[in-house]
Amino acid sequence: MYIYLRILGMSTSQLYRGSLSIIILKLLKENGEMYGYEITQRVKEMTQGDLTIKEGALYPALHKLEAAGHLTVTAKKVDNRVRKYYDITPKGKQETVNRLAELDEFLANMQRIINPKLSF
Amino acid sequence: MKVNESQIAELYAFTRKHYVEHYDLQTELVDHLAMAIEKQWAKNEHISFDKALQIEFKKFGVFGFMEVVEERQKALSKKYSKLIWKHLKEYFKLPKIILLLILTVVLYYLIELAIVDRLVLTILLALSLLAYVVDAVIHVKRNKAKKNNGEKKWMFEEIIRSYGSGLWLFFVPVQGINILNSTDVEFAVKSPVFIAVFSFVFILLLMVSYIIQFEIPKKAEHYLEETYPEYKLVD
Repeated sequence: MYIYLRILGMSTSQLYRGSLSIIILKLLKENGEMYGYEITQRVKEMTQGDLTIKEGALYPALHKLEAAGHLTVTAKKVDNRVRKYYDITPKGKQETVNRLAELDEFLANMQRIINPKLSF
Repeated sequence: MKVNESQIAELYAFTRKHYVEHYDLQTELVDHLAMAIEKQWAKNEHISFDKALQIEFKKFGVFGFMEVVEERQKALSKKYSKLIWKHLKEYFKLPKIILLLILTVVLYYLIELAIVDRLVLTILLALSLLAYVVDAVIHVKRNKAKKNNGEKKWMFEEIIRSYGSGLWLFFVPVQGINILNSTDVEFAVKSPVFIAVFSFVFILLLMVSYIIQFEIPKKAEHYLEETYPEYKLVD
């Protein structure tokens, strides 16, 4: 995907920004509840530091998903402070499925455009 | 090395200095910054608290916390509109729909009467104004009581209270009567359908005002706890 983006002349961060909510939903679906900082670190680990989520974009995305009913929040007292954990709702799970299907379709179409298979 | 109590207080002050007014957002950002600073210390113990904080703050970009605050406001406004819808939908189910229909019918006949008799219209207008004044007094009292209640501000609470004291809402019904009064009364006389639709919309608007001013603020604690699980953890 990285290469395709380069070809398209888009910066990776631009495209990922649009996909941030999918990344969040998918992570929560697989890992269960997480807090903001944990999400940034997990993404960094998974992409070997290639992709870092901007803090200024992460929280807006989390709050938007929460307002839409895709996430729920719980709070726990950890050390000497309060930590907010996000978890995915059934509605959010459905949304993940839909959005991943969309993304798959998008990638498949990009493949077709960039790598047309010649058939005779 | 862990971020200590007084440093947490410093972080709260730091978020306030950078225009994060509301305690809910402050808390989330403070935890984030504290985690990130601890992570830096794990790599390099000698880095100072202030230096580590500056490094982390830079990661939020040139606008600092502004975007986070703005987007939070948007998300919560959306949540609030949804809440109004949820309440309004109740008026289309039993038993509340009976109230809605009865009020519509009553208003319908009142308007019919009013067309015959201007006095009724004047009384209606006077009643609306009276309701407005009473409402204003209630809100001034309520807000005063609220202000003495500590200094932690919760964004959703502010949205509920500020819309809840949206006195302009009561102007909507008053305006409605005005419009009916000054414009096409002839048309209204001829068309019962017009009066019926007008009555229904008018009552619906009244219901929305009622929801915003009374129903939601009354359940504010419940909605706040739902929005802010940390609401109960502090204080």
